[in-house]
Amino acid sequence: MGLVSYLIRALPQLFLAGRSFPEAFERYLRYLSYALIASIISTGLFLSGGHFDAADAPRRSLALVAAVVVASWSGKPLIGMLVGTLLAQTLP
Amino acid sequence: MIPSSFRAGVKAAIPIWIAYISTSFTLGLSARAYGLSMGEIVLMSALVFAAPAQFAALEPLASGKPALQILFVTFLINLRFLVMSAAIAPYFGRVKRAALLLSSHLISISTFIIPYVHFQKQAGGLVVAEEMEEWGRGNFHYFLGLAATSFSVWVVGAGIGYWAALHVPSGFEEGLKFMLPGYFVSLLAVELKGKGALLIGLASFLAAVPGALLNTDWGWLAAALAIGTIGWGIEQWIQRAPR
Repeated sequence: MGLVSYLIRALPQLFLAGRSFPEAFERYLRYLSYALIASIISTGLFLSGGHFDAADAPRRSLALVAAVVVASWSGKPLIGMLVGTLLAQTLP
Repeated sequence: MIPSSFRAGVKAAIPIWIAYISTSFTLGLSARAYGLSMGEIVLMSALVFAAPAQFAALEPLASGKPALQILFVTFLINLRFLVMSAAIAPYFGRVKRAALLLSSHLISISTFIIPYVHFQKQAGGLVVAEEMEEWGRGNFHYFLGLAATSFSVWVVGAGIGYWAALHVPSGFEEGLKFMLPGYFVSLLAVELKGKGALLIGLASFLAAVPGALLNTDWGWLAAALAIGTIGWGIEQWIQRAPR
């Protein structure tokens, strides 16, 4: 992981310095990140040992919605995460 | 003597430190919840230094997903650094290549944006050839002051977060388990702008579980790549269509 991350950062210093990329390409990279992160949220929350965690899904979904609402409203991801965590821990 | 541009970089880094303290602390807590050791998360923070990629690796590492998959996801998420690294390099003028290669490890979203905006503001006037060396060195010291201190805060913060997790009493597993996806979804809620990005995020979220149930290791990843690519393609097509 460290080597992959380093090469992505270091190689442009040698070969691509000053080169600008099309805006569409930069947007594509951003979209791929969003898609991957959204998938990680979903699998991390609803799968356990390769199976759908049906019993915990409603509570976690509620906590997730609360985190989204609070983060969007406050503009602060940390506050959204804290409210969601509190609900996930306390909801029956 | 510490160059003034280095000190200016350190001063400009203070907002980044504040953001990094909370995020790295959460990373340390989550790492503990996913069963990593303190040494592993501190080393990962030092070697990878990229919040989204590190958070994304926790679950696959804990569930024993293939190493190739973890590397592939790291590569895709960190691909943005390619653009950032290429964009900032010209502002370092004639700084030695070895120094550039070492410092490139410190490029992250935050440590790129602040210096880049700062350099662009300063680049209003043309730099004559004789001053090129001095100009590049000043910019480089500014970047180092900002990025090296931010990096240190990140690594130490992850260690402290992990240490704090060791002292959380049992019974809080559900809350700790939620922190990682909770942080990610909150980040997306703030970051996602535009209909295209929102739809891609939502579709990937919905498709990931069925994808993973079809193929535990690669299903969710293939679904995310397909949705990101198709969504971007449709947006490009709509933008180019004659009105």
